[in-house]
Amino acid sequence: MLRRSFLHNVLLALGAISLLTVLVFLPSFYLLTFIFTRWDEIYNEIFAHPLIGDTYWKEIGRYLSLSLRLALTTILIDLIIGVPLAYLLSRGSFPGKSLLEDLTMLPLVIPTSGFGFATMLAWTASYGLPAILGFDIKVDTLVPMVNVPLLMLIIHVALTFPYVVKTVCGALRDIGKSYEIIASSLGSKPITTFRKITMPLIVPSLLSGLVLAFARSLGETGATMIVAGVSTTAPIAVVKWEFENKLAPAAFLGALLVGISLAIIVPIEYLASSSRRARRLIPLGVEVLLVRWERKAPGRLRLFRDIISLLSIALLVLLPIAVLAYNAMIYWRQDPYTGRMEGGILYQLYGPARYIDVIAKSMMTSLIVSSLATLISTYVAMISIPVIARSGYGRLLRIMLKVPLVIPTSALGLAMILLWGPRGLGLVPPGLWLIVLTHVVFSVPVIVETGLASYFETNLPLYEDTARSLGATPYDVMETITIPMIRRGIIAGSLLAFTHSLGETGATFIVMGDHTTVSTLIVNLVESLAIPASIFASLVLILTSIVFIVIIRHLIE
Amino acid sequence: MPDIKVVDVYKRFGRIVALDGVNLHVRDGEYVCIIGPSGSGKSTLLKIIAGIIQPDRGDVFFDDVRVTDLPLEERGIGMVMQDILLFPHMNLWDNVTFSPLTRGYNREIIVNIGNEVMNLLKIRADKKAYPSELSRGEQQMIALARALASRPRVLLLDEPLASLDAHAARALRYELRRMVKELGLTAIHVTHNQEEALSIADRVVVMRKGKIEQVGTPLELYLMPKTPFVSRFIGGEANFLEGHVAQKYGNKAVIELRNGTRLCTYTHLPQGSHVLVAVRPEHIVLMKKTKEIHGENMLEGTIEDKNFLGACIRYVVKTKEGSLIVRMRRGVISFRIGEDVALRLDKVVIFEYPKEGLLKAIAYE
Repeated sequence: MLRRSFLHNVLLALGAISLLTVLVFLPSFYLLTFIFTRWDEIYNEIFAHPLIGDTYWKEIGRYLSLSLRLALTTILIDLIIGVPLAYLLSRGSFPGKSLLEDLTMLPLVIPTSGFGFATMLAWTASYGLPAILGFDIKVDTLVPMVNVPLLMLIIHVALTFPYVVKTVCGALRDIGKSYEIIASSLGSKPITTFRKITMPLIVPSLLSGLVLAFARSLGETGATMIVAGVSTTAPIAVVKWEFENKLAPAAFLGALLVGISLAIIVPIEYLASSSRRARRLIPLGVEVLLVRWERKAPGRLRLFRDIISLLSIALLVLLPIAVLAYNAMIYWRQDPYTGRMEGGILYQLYGPARYIDVIAKSMMTSLIVSSLATLISTYVAMISIPVIARSGYGRLLRIMLKVPLVIPTSALGLAMILLWGPRGLGLVPPGLWLIVLTHVVFSVPVIVETGLASYFETNLPLYEDTARSLGATPYDVMETITIPMIRRGIIAGSLLAFTHSLGETGATFIVMGDHTTVSTLIVNLVESLAIPASIFASLVLILTSIVFIVIIRHLIE
Repeated sequence: MPDIKVVDVYKRFGRIVALDGVNLHVRDGEYVCIIGPSGSGKSTLLKIIAGIIQPDRGDVFFDDVRVTDLPLEERGIGMVMQDILLFPHMNLWDNVTFSPLTRGYNREIIVNIGNEVMNLLKIRADKKAYPSELSRGEQQMIALARALASRPRVLLLDEPLASLDAHAARALRYELRRMVKELGLTAIHVTHNQEEALSIADRVVVMRKGKIEQVGTPLELYLMPKTPFVSRFIGGEANFLEGHVAQKYGNKAVIELRNGTRLCTYTHLPQGSHVLVAVRPEHIVLMKKTKEIHGENMLEGTIEDKNFLGACIRYVVKTKEGSLIVRMRRGVISFRIGEDVALRLDKVVIFEYPKEGLLKAIAYE
């Protein structure tokens, strides 16, 4: 009996680990090893090309520099708007709070290319917000000091600030109000309490939120492509080189991106999980002065916080979607400016170009891909969760599962094609199945995370042990106890993964071959200047995702 | 220092009424314990006095100044909670001196106050140690020091000993009272442990279902409970018997229990009233059964069960009026299970029989 259950355990663990390794871990690490195995090729192409010398190396430097500046500026702004918003969401109670929460999380699930397009419309169109306010933003408007394109910065902030809000909100809820209440009973003003108590306690989560945001910004491809104009970020360069069949620089840059992400995430995750002890950074004398200044500070800060929060949601999330919907309305029959019917959505969809067919076909592809990827990922996740939760090496697996969440999507796509495609193992040609496999890579971690959360929330190990003590085999336990109890977590995770998959652009672009998903189609439509059709496709895609978000919300509640 | 008045306070959370018209007067320098079963509203009352939550109706006065709208940080209270809540990222010294620091005092004053409270509480732990390196008892000591360093006028204690082990809780219990009396503070201490409350409070407030059931000195509550609930809650166990007033001579009365046992006692209730008789287990004396049972307030019975409680022994005795719980000092005399005994009810409390029935009248919820 004992030996049989031991065998069960070993088999389950082996199965889970091998599935995770092949499907999830292998591609990213393959890309890193690629540099070493093909170093000669890379060296000759990038550093010592017979014709162009080290031109590629210089280009790589330029693209990386832009990406890094962009990512750093992005997380700086994320910090400024994310913390007040998280504070408002976790501490405030006001009507419409759950709506505000949903709006905050929207950029995490709506398709990036559609959202990027909507943002571009909102900020550059002649009736957009800046025009109303009387200044002009173009795709090549640069932010002073850091020299990153403003539009790119806006879209990156919009796509990454939810990570900061989410993690900080979670941390604030975990520590609760009690420390703050104690601090005020000791006579501390709210601002002093925030600086000395709340802030130090949330620093670990804030750091991991910022790291996620940083990695996401470093790897963002889909929306960036749309607003890129003439600027090229590192992930876009990977896509570009891959298309031009310049594999060596693409792989090298991709590996650099993966390396940078890992180099930042691993130490900070480690730091975040280590002790919560704060050293006194400010000498006591200065601290006393600071406190006195804080005691005199006006009590209006709360208002300031609320304004920042609401304004950022309105500008970053609501405005683009509203403008997109408005555009769909005015472009419906004809181009609103020239009045020409050819410029209307209806004509583009049903006219000679028959974009409706293309959109419908790619929508179909998207749905098939997302469903398959989600199905496979859910299965893998269900096997992995008990293994990760209950085994000694589970923590390691859990950290490794963060990798696919942060590696740049275009690098991921490249890794997939290098590993599985004709130049690698030659098992899966670019096309529908490779897209599915690629989406599995980032879907599994999403489902595992939400599943694990509900695993620990429901105190499942206790119930599992009880079932085992009543004589159930590990397999019976999984079927009758584990899976039913974390079902809601898994379903919510699956839906989240589904929406991710529906909106994924960067990696899909590289691995899709002749198939087109709707999110990549939008990039193509924008690039071919079929604006009305893009408006329509973006709106359809965003609305579909919103429906899913509502369903997820309903399931989680 | 101040005198605290709570006037007609109501508070509801959704459909649950947490406080239903509470009036309380805590005198200057008094140590008051609030006890009651969980959900009785005792913590809510404390939080309203602290200013953590606002009452729906009613007011709180410190020294006759209305403080209902005054924010927590300006009420001059010190709080010690069940969850201890030392700031985990600060060492002991920074925890203790947090209050003087955030009040913007000078360096020297901060250091002085810190040293003063550490000496007062005889804290010998390393000032640079972090809370997680201490035992729960030591942590609560530091939390007390931190609260005292804010120079509070009122000390509010919310189950401060509930998360400590029995030994540490008992030691800190008397320390708390000593400290409060030495500094002349007004203290309000919420607990569900009636023994703790009786042993340190000047006065005890018994709460139930959002209302104050009785306020009095520990002795008053013990000897003269106003309701069946209080008589059971104080002491934990009580025997309840049903009967009626058979005869009355002035305040003196003869109560006849259901199965004919007669008790001589005092009551203001008129002849014929349906009554509930409460007898504490320690107010019943067991004796060897002689041939004839005579004398007042006597019953006969058989020992059904016996539990060893340390200083005393708990017997369950079957009598014609039902099973009675008896607690007797160990060593004087001892009985075997099955032995026939005589019981004498030394002190009984007579209540009008509750209209809602006995079980409802003494239920904790």
